[in-house]
Amino acid sequence: MTLELRVNGADHQVEARADESLLTVLRRELGLASVRETCGIGVCGACTVLVDALPMSGCLLLAPLAEGREIRTVESLGGEDPVQRAFAERHAFQCGYCTPAMVLAAKRLLEENPSPTEEEVRLGLAGNLCRCGSYVKIVEAVLLAAGKEREWTS
Amino acid sequence: MTDARVTGAARYSEDLDLEGQLYARLVRSPVPHARVLSVDASLVPPRCVVLVPDDVRGLARYGVQIEDETVLALDRVRYVGDVVAAVAAETPREAEEAAALVQVVYEEVPAVLDVVDAVAPDAPLVHDEIALASGGAAYFGMRPQPGTNVCHRFQLHHGDVKAAWGQADVVVEETYRTPAAQHAAMEPHACVARWDGERLEVFTGTQTPFNLREELGRIFGLSADRVRVVVPLMGGSFGIKTFLRTEAIAAALARKAGRPVKLVLPRAEEWQTLNRHAAVVTMKLGALADGTLLALETTCLADTGAYADCGPGVAQKMGFAAPGPYRIPNVRVDARCVYTNLPPAGAFRGYGQMQSAWARERAVDLLAERLGLDPLDLRLRNLLRDGDTYCTGETMHDVHFAECLEAAAAAIGWREGRRGKGLSVILKGMQTPSRASIRIERDEDAGYTLRCATTEMGQGARRAITLLAAEQLEVDPDCVRFPSPDTDVVPYDTRTTSSRSTYMMACALEAAVQALREDGTMGEGEAIEQGGLDPDTGQGIASTHWHQGAAGAEVRVDEETGKVEVVRLHCAVYAGRVVNRPGAELQNEGSMIMGLGTALFEEVVAAEGQVTNANLSDYPVPSFADLPGRLTHELIEREGAEVHGLGETALPPVPAAIGNAVASLGIPVTELPLTPERVLAAAARAVEAPA
Amino acid sequence: MSTEPEWLAPASLDEALALRAERREGATVVAGGTFVGILVNSRLLAPEAFLSLQRVAGLDYIRANGDLRIGALTTHRSVELSPLVRDGWPALALAFSLVASPRVRNQATVGGVLADADYASDPPSMFIALAARVVARSVRGEREVPVDELITGFYETSLEPDELVVEVVVPGGEHHATYRKFRSRSHEDRPAVGVAACRRPGELRVVVGAVAGRPQWFPDLCDPGAAPADVARGYAEAIDPISDVSGSSEYRRRVIEVEVRRALEELA
Repeated sequence: MTLELRVNGADHQVEARADESLLTVLRRELGLASVRETCGIGVCGACTVLVDALPMSGCLLLAPLAEGREIRTVESLGGEDPVQRAFAERHAFQCGYCTPAMVLAAKRLLEENPSPTEEEVRLGLAGNLCRCGSYVKIVEAVLLAAGKEREWTS
Repeated sequence: MTDARVTGAARYSEDLDLEGQLYARLVRSPVPHARVLSVDASLVPPRCVVLVPDDVRGLARYGVQIEDETVLALDRVRYVGDVVAAVAAETPREAEEAAALVQVVYEEVPAVLDVVDAVAPDAPLVHDEIALASGGAAYFGMRPQPGTNVCHRFQLHHGDVKAAWGQADVVVEETYRTPAAQHAAMEPHACVARWDGERLEVFTGTQTPFNLREELGRIFGLSADRVRVVVPLMGGSFGIKTFLRTEAIAAALARKAGRPVKLVLPRAEEWQTLNRHAAVVTMKLGALADGTLLALETTCLADTGAYADCGPGVAQKMGFAAPGPYRIPNVRVDARCVYTNLPPAGAFRGYGQMQSAWARERAVDLLAERLGLDPLDLRLRNLLRDGDTYCTGETMHDVHFAECLEAAAAAIGWREGRRGKGLSVILKGMQTPSRASIRIERDEDAGYTLRCATTEMGQGARRAITLLAAEQLEVDPDCVRFPSPDTDVVPYDTRTTSSRSTYMMACALEAAVQALREDGTMGEGEAIEQGGLDPDTGQGIASTHWHQGAAGAEVRVDEETGKVEVVRLHCAVYAGRVVNRPGAELQNEGSMIMGLGTALFEEVVAAEGQVTNANLSDYPVPSFADLPGRLTHELIEREGAEVHGLGETALPPVPAAIGNAVASLGIPVTELPLTPERVLAAAARAVEAPA
Repeated sequence: MSTEPEWLAPASLDEALALRAERREGATVVAGGTFVGILVNSRLLAPEAFLSLQRVAGLDYIRANGDLRIGALTTHRSVELSPLVRDGWPALALAFSLVASPRVRNQATVGGVLADADYASDPPSMFIALAARVVARSVRGEREVPVDELITGFYETSLEPDELVVEVVVPGGEHHATYRKFRSRSHEDRPAVGVAACRRPGELRVVVGAVAGRPQWFPDLCDPGAAPADVARGYAEAIDPISDVSGSSEYRRRVIEVEVRRALEELA
C-alpha cells in the first residue's frame, strides 16, 4: 500500500506492506539509519521515534498507524540540540548504537519534566537499553542538559 | 562537529548496502543432535538462491583452534540452531519465507546437554575426531582427549598439593556453577560479501579481521591477497563478533548468486550463534590457622557447546587464572574445554575469568568464615606482591592487587561493619604470545594517517590510540586520521581482543613514530610479546602483562522473597597510565554493569537443547533502573607506568563481590545468577545444614 | 511471497462495528498496536486483514462523575498521568505507570490491554480488584461485562467475534486500593507476581496476576475481617501458579503469600 508519512518536517509517499513496522519503512524507504532494530519486541528502545512528540517503538508501530502523525528521528535535530551537546560533552555513549534513541527519549523526558532528579531520569529512561552500560554518563548528560549536576542517591 | 554517534550519522555493518545485493536467511536445525538424511530445496522459488550441503562439501573445514566446523552442517547437526542451508533473495521477507520452504529430514541421535554429563565415560560424542587448527589463533599447545568430548585439557602443577592437605589446619571444598550468557550486543551480526572475480570482499563487524581473512582464505582456497576484510564501526560486541561467524555462508551464497549478499541475523539467532561458556568449577583451599594459604586445587569444566571456537583458549585462561592473585605454594589446576549439543560458546568479556573468580573468591570467603578471619585480612595476607612468583613460575611485576582491594574495601566502608558487604579481587591475563603493528603516514596537508587493524566496538581503543599518536607526534589529535580497518591496507595484527589493543598499539606506536622520524613520510612499528604456557604443567609465561582489579559490593536481601538489591558497588582497577579518561571510565562502568547482570539475572535457559529465552524480554539485560544506588569506580594510576587495557577488568570481580555480600548474611550461594529463587534455596540449605 | 494483509481503517465507530461484524476473526483489531506489533514481528500472527481503530473518533477520554469512565482508545500514559485518575483511583494510575516503558505506554490502549488478555499485564488485575466492567458494543447492541468475566484464559476473552471494547467503567465510592508488581529479575522484566487489592466498606478484593492464564480472584478467601497473613496463605494454597523464566510454580506460590500479605498490610 502507499503510505503518506510526514517525517522530520517533510511529506513522503512510500510503499509498504500493512504488516511492516514503521522502523522497517523508515530505514528502507527513507534511509533513516539512526532508527535501529535490536529486540523487535519493544523492549530495548533502539528504534525509538517521536510520534506527535511522544517516544514510541518504531518496531511495534505498524507503518500505516504512522499516517497523519508527525514523525521525528534524531536526524532532524541537527547535532546542536542541547541534549545532543550534553551527550557529546559527557561522552555518554560507547558503541553509539542506542544513542539516537536515548537522545529522543531524553528530549521528551525533559519536555515533560524540565528539572528531573537523578532518580526520575533513571526511571524515565529505564526502557531504553544500552548494553555497553553507559548509563552513568547518560544520566549525567541528561542532568547537564537540564542544567543540573548529578548527585548520587544512596 | 558533534560525534556521529549523537547525530545519527554513524554507520554500522548493518547499515551497509552494496549495489545489487541479495538478502540471506539461514535454515537451522530444530533438533540438538541428528544425522541429516536429506535437504530438499525444490519448493523454494527458482528466483531465490539456495545454498545446500552439497554446495559446500568441497570447501575446507575451519575453526580457529580446533577445525571442527564446515560452512554448513554436512551430514550431522550438533545443536538446535546448527545451519543446514541458506537462502538469498531480493528482499529480506522473501528470503525468510523461502528459507521456511527448505525441507530437511533428520534422524535424531542421543544428545548430551550438560557439561558434567559430557565428561562421563559413556557420554555420546559430539565430534568423532578432533583436528587441531594451525592458524594464528591456535597460539598454544592444544591437548584434545581422543574418544571423549574434551577438546582441550590444560593442567598446572605447582608444589605438592597432596602433601599440603595434611599440613593445613582448615580445608574447604565446594562446587560453583555459572550459566551460559548472551552478549546481546545491540547491533546483531551483520555482514555483506561480494566477489570480484576470484577475489572475495567482506564487510563485517568483527574484532578479528586478520583471523577472518585467514579462515576465509582457507575455506575458499584463496591466498591472503585474494581476501579483503573491511570492518565498519560495531554496535557493541563483547566478544560475540570474534572469528568467523556468518561471513563464510554469505560469501558462499554470493559466489553462487554472482551478486553481493547481505546477512543480518534476527535477534533470536544471536543465542544460537555464540554465548558465554557455562562452567562448573570445584575449588578446594587449605590454609594454616593464621590464614596463610597452603594449597589450592581446582577443576574447571567449560561448556563450549557444539563447536570449539576459541573455547580451548577460554578454558586455559579460566584455568591458569583460577588460583587468583595469591601466593600459594601448592597448586593443581585441571581445566577442560568440553563439547555438548548446545549452541557454541566463545569469547565473552572477561574470557573465563569471571567463572573461575566466582568460584575462588566465594571459596576464599568460605575459608575466612571457617578460620574466623576477616575476609579482607585473609586476602591481604596472601595477595601477590611485586617480585612474587605466580603458580606458573613467572615473576610478577607492577603488582597492585592489595591497592585495588583496599580501595574497594574503603569505598564500601568495610572496616565500619561488614554485614551485607562483599569483596573480591582478580587477575586477568592478556593474550600471550601476541603481536601488533601500526603504520603512520605523513599526509600532504601536514596531517597523519594511522593504519592499524584495531577495530571499534565502542570500547574507545581507537580514540586512545589517536590520542597516543598525537602525543608522540606532538600534534593536535584533530590532525590524526584513523580510517576503519581494511586488511588490504593495514599491517597485520593479532586481533582486538583480551584488552590488549591499547597496550600493544602503544608499544608499536613508539617504534612507528621513531621510524617515521627517520623516513620522513612513513613509519611502521611492531610490538611482540613472547611467552606461553606448557599445557601439561602450566609452567611458563601466562601473560606478559596482568590486568588487576577488585570489587566491593553492599546488598540488601529481602528475606521473604529472596530478592537481592545491590545498594553499593565499587570497582578499583589498576590502569597504569590513563590515555583516554572518559573512555576508560566508560569501560569500567560498562564492565561493572554487565557484571551486575551476570550476578543477578543473566542466564541462557535451554530445554532439550532449545534455548527458551532467546529474546530480550525473557533474557533481560541491566537497565538504568537496575543500577545500584551508588555505582562508582576508580582507576589506580602510577607515574611512568605503561598503558593498560581496561575493557574487561571490572567485570569478573563483580559477581563474586555481590555473592560474598549475600553470603555475609548467612546465605551461602554457589550458583549464578543470584535469582531470588536460588537465594531462597541457598538460605534454606544453610538452615538445614549450618556451616 | 505471502499475501499482503488488507488495512481497514474505518473513520467512525459504526463503520468499525459493521466491518467487525462482517470480517469477524478474519480481521485483527488494532488499537495502539503494541501487542499486534510483537505478534506480527515474531511471525505469530499473519492475518488476512487489520481493522485499525485509529481513525475512530470519540473513544479517547477519561471522565469521572461518581464512576470513572475511560474510552477504549485512551493510552496507558494518559491514564497514568490523568489528574482525575490520580485523585480518585490512584492505584489504577500506579498500575498503569508500571507497565513496560513510557514508549509502550504512549502507544498501548486501555481497550487493547483488556481485549488482549495477556496474563502478565499489570492493569487487568487492578481493574478486577476495582470491580471494573467493560462496555462491549457490536452492531447487535451494547452490553456490560465485568472484567473478571471478560478475561477467560491465556489471551482469551468472552468477547463475541463481532464485538469491540469501547469503554471501561470503574466504580467510584469510598475505597482504598494498591498494586504491587514483583519482578524477579530486571526492573524491565514483566511481573512474576502482580497483586491488586481493594478495600471498600464491608468488602475486600484481592486479585493476583501473572501467575496463571487469567487474573486470580477468590471471593471466598476475601474476608474483609481476616488477618492479611490468613488471606495471603489462602491465596497461596488456592492458586496453582505457572512456571517460566521469571520463576517456578513453587517459587511463585511463596511470593504470592508474601506479596498478598504486604498488599493487605498497605491497606490496613
